Amino acid sequence: MRAIPKKGSAERDRLIAEHKACIDSMKGVAGCTILRCETPGDTTAVSGGIHEDFVLNRVLLRMRAAMPANGKRKLVVICTEVDKSWRIGRLAGVRGVPPEFVNDKIYDNEQDPQHDIFLMRLDEMEETDGQVEHFHEGWKRRDDNWTVT
Amino acid sequence: MTAMRLTGYADLFGVNPGKKINFYVNSNGPTKYKVEIMKMINGDTNPRGPGLLEELIPAKCNGEYKGRRQVIHSGSYGYALDKPQFHLESFTMQCWIWPTTPKTHPKYWRHGAQGLMGKWENGKGYGLFINEAGCLEVRINGHSITTDAPIRDHAWHFCAASFDAKTGQVVLYHEPQIQYALDPTILPVKTVLNTKLKNAEGVPFTVACYTGSMTKDDIAKSSRPQGVVMAGHYNGKIDSPRLCREALSRQDIETMKLGAQSGLTERRNSGPTGELSKTIVGSWDFSDGINTIVGKDKGPYLFDLAIVNCPTRAMTGHNFSGHNFDWKHAESEYGAIHFHDDDIDDARWEMDFEWDVPNGQNSAFYAAKLTTADGDEDYIPFWVVPEIGKEQAKIAVMVPTISYMAYANEHLANNAGGAELLVYRVPIMQDQNMYLSEHREYGGSIYDTHTDGSGICLSTRLRPILSMRPKYDHFLMQAPWQYPADLHLICWLEQMGYEYDCITDEDVTYDGLARLEKYNVIITGSHPEHNTGTQLDALHNYTQQGGRLMYMGADAWYWIHSYHPSYEDLGRGVLTEMRRCESGIRTWRADPGEYYHQGTGELGGMWRYRGRYLHSVAGTGMSSEGFDISSYYSRTEESNDPRVSWAFEGIEFEEKLGNFGFVGGGAAGTELDIVDTMLGSPPHTMVVATSAGRHTEAYLLVMEDFGFNQQGLDGTQHPRVRSDIAFHETPNGGGCFAFSSIAYCGSLPWNNGDNNISRLTGNVLNRFMQDGPLPDAPKEAYIHRGRADYDPPSNKA
Repeated sequence: MRAIPKKGSAERDRLIAEHKACIDSMKGVAGCTILRCETPGDTTAVSGGIHEDFVLNRVLLRMRAAMPANGKRKLVVICTEVDKSWRIGRLAGVRGVPPEFVNDKIYDNEQDPQHDIFLMRLDEMEETDGQVEHFHEGWKRRDDNWTVT
Repeated sequence: MTAMRLTGYADLFGVNPGKKINFYVNSNGPTKYKVEIMKMINGDTNPRGPGLLEELIPAKCNGEYKGRRQVIHSGSYGYALDKPQFHLESFTMQCWIWPTTPKTHPKYWRHGAQGLMGKWENGKGYGLFINEAGCLEVRINGHSITTDAPIRDHAWHFCAASFDAKTGQVVLYHEPQIQYALDPTILPVKTVLNTKLKNAEGVPFTVACYTGSMTKDDIAKSSRPQGVVMAGHYNGKIDSPRLCREALSRQDIETMKLGAQSGLTERRNSGPTGELSKTIVGSWDFSDGINTIVGKDKGPYLFDLAIVNCPTRAMTGHNFSGHNFDWKHAESEYGAIHFHDDDIDDARWEMDFEWDVPNGQNSAFYAAKLTTADGDEDYIPFWVVPEIGKEQAKIAVMVPTISYMAYANEHLANNAGGAELLVYRVPIMQDQNMYLSEHREYGGSIYDTHTDGSGICLSTRLRPILSMRPKYDHFLMQAPWQYPADLHLICWLEQMGYEYDCITDEDVTYDGLARLEKYNVIITGSHPEHNTGTQLDALHNYTQQGGRLMYMGADAWYWIHSYHPSYEDLGRGVLTEMRRCESGIRTWRADPGEYYHQGTGELGGMWRYRGRYLHSVAGTGMSSEGFDISSYYSRTEESNDPRVSWAFEGIEFEEKLGNFGFVGGGAAGTELDIVDTMLGSPPHTMVVATSAGRHTEAYLLVMEDFGFNQQGLDGTQHPRVRSDIAFHETPNGGGCFAFSSIAYCGSLPWNNGDNNISRLTGNVLNRFMQDGPLPDAPKEAYIHRGRADYDPPSNKA
């Protein structure tokens, strides 16, 4: 499983910069992906991002599937006022328990929280996962930290 | 953020002019609210578009109403009203169980003991339970006796408990069907109690729950039986419950597994002896009446259970042999009911207001808009549908109401771990999602799993459906989906000045061709994925007889649905059923032997696997899906063919078609359909535009199109990951135009309808809506065509 680049490494900085550029270019699109729109807000021509940066592609896949290693659950975006404000929350993982906000930051667009969650996950996730040294009882019981629907 | 304090639903999806529609509202806090009937035109608040468009309709019911709280008593169970025969001194209770959540997380929404069977309330009576620690427990009045052996989940166990009033002896049996090598032996627990059973008057006999309280509180009006609020809803299967009025020996308990067999003679039956039979109070057989909401009692008193909230039936029992998958041919192996604590069949709320729809009311999308001065808001959508014979327009929009039911109250962003992998970003949740994440009693969608992790295969429209609302963006696309996405189509029809009728899936299901045949053209919604057989028959008959079909979306005609016959007395199409079987896009997968519908007995799953290819309905069928962003189309050479070139008047060949839109930013996106003559597309189908080569890595080929996992299936690689806009003629001057992308309708109202997707669609609609048959195809188009007779260039090399 692809390792998360170390803090302060050039590779990590590159991923952050590319992710940010993609997210900024997606503002105005009724949807979002980690690719750069040639014309901001217009998906006619897209490039870069997950299509051209293999490490970014694999790190994002791992982030989407796996839980943070600190026992916390997955982060999610919560729209608090339609087309006006958004915040970041964390799922409870228990049926019937709603997500909770993780901080007070309020976003005025729906794309920026995607980038902040990327940054939070770079810090929250263990550098490596899914190797033999990570084996535990849960791997036998569908708790292998790689979710599928 | 404000919680939703107003929620509501109506008793009908479609109402005829001159008829009445009733509305039910939960006002949790506000003492009053305002009602306004609105004609709905656009539900998308995207700032790049026209914004929310609604028109106030003068209606007698408009005005202010007193608010009151109404709740949903979800969770399925069976009950029989109290009878003298349930008042016991001694007893034996027994059943098979296959529990799915014997032990729950302390924060789980219904954490606590689960009732299996009995007549027990507040320390009085008898009952068999799974206790909070996940162990089998028998309760005798206030005494609890347990095995202290945690029950294995997703496994069959035989359970029994007896109490002898004379000796006070209690015996509790927990016998796993499978004993693994290192399982500790669970011995029967025996003890003696010095107590006399208290049989409380009025407490019903229950299966899969216990009686929580009996109250005259208004909140209990919507529970069943009215005034009795159940608690301890059980998650899992129960098979063959029995109740006897004596403490039976283990041998007699074994015999009672066979059930009551009345009329024992030398020539028939092999059940309990006369002596044993005298002790029987009830002997329930859930394999009888699988398509009903009755739990049959084969015992002497015929204490049939009323089954509430429609649990899943046609489920394999403890004796399933695996030889027969159709319950109709092996009923005795389908004696299990799978109960869930979040099952719901009907919210059963008290009516708050009604609208007598005037004669002549225009057919359209409508909603009862509920608001308060404090900013609370909810919309209850419905459709005014003209009676057959009183059609108001040449165009009918077939509103995909079964698909709305299938998606009703989905929880995927909150509960599906793989949701992010699917959408290729972090999901965004809205008010409605937040509310549902807390209020599991509103039930889930057919995409969700129950709170116990098993698949949801039943959905009712008699509950607030919070995903079927304007101003609601779905996490899948960060944009409107289903109901609000179909309003994009309505918005465009209004922008262009077309007159149209609205009909629903249930109208076509129940009325067949009669519902369609007076229209010159039928327009579908953006994602009519879920369909009944008679609906597909009607569409086939319509297009074969010269009708014209505009298929405005993708991933349609995919799943087999049927309406449960036991709810017909509440109206048409109340509760729909679907099973996710051997293939297809499945957020859960049916277990072996559980492919057949409980309501109609028909084989569930994909229409494709019943030999009814998706592509045969309108020319194209699903190839792929991805939910990050959308792309656009280019014309193919076939678009210049005189058979279809009329559709492109005013559109240059080189134009980018639909590189704009309110769903993913383009017309080609989310779920995509293609022409495939090997999968049912008529051999003369023309591909007039395609989005080939333009999709992202998030788009993946559907799994029913490949036999094993391999690389190379995504939108940057696989040639089948594309959308084809397609046309073919049908007999007698009919035709089908398939636009083949769920995002397509999201491009129609762009720039106030002044765009090339609008132009293309308008050209097609203008031709299809004309009276009489379509102009004949040129003579040279009449040629023999095979399905797989393409001659590749390599053959000529």
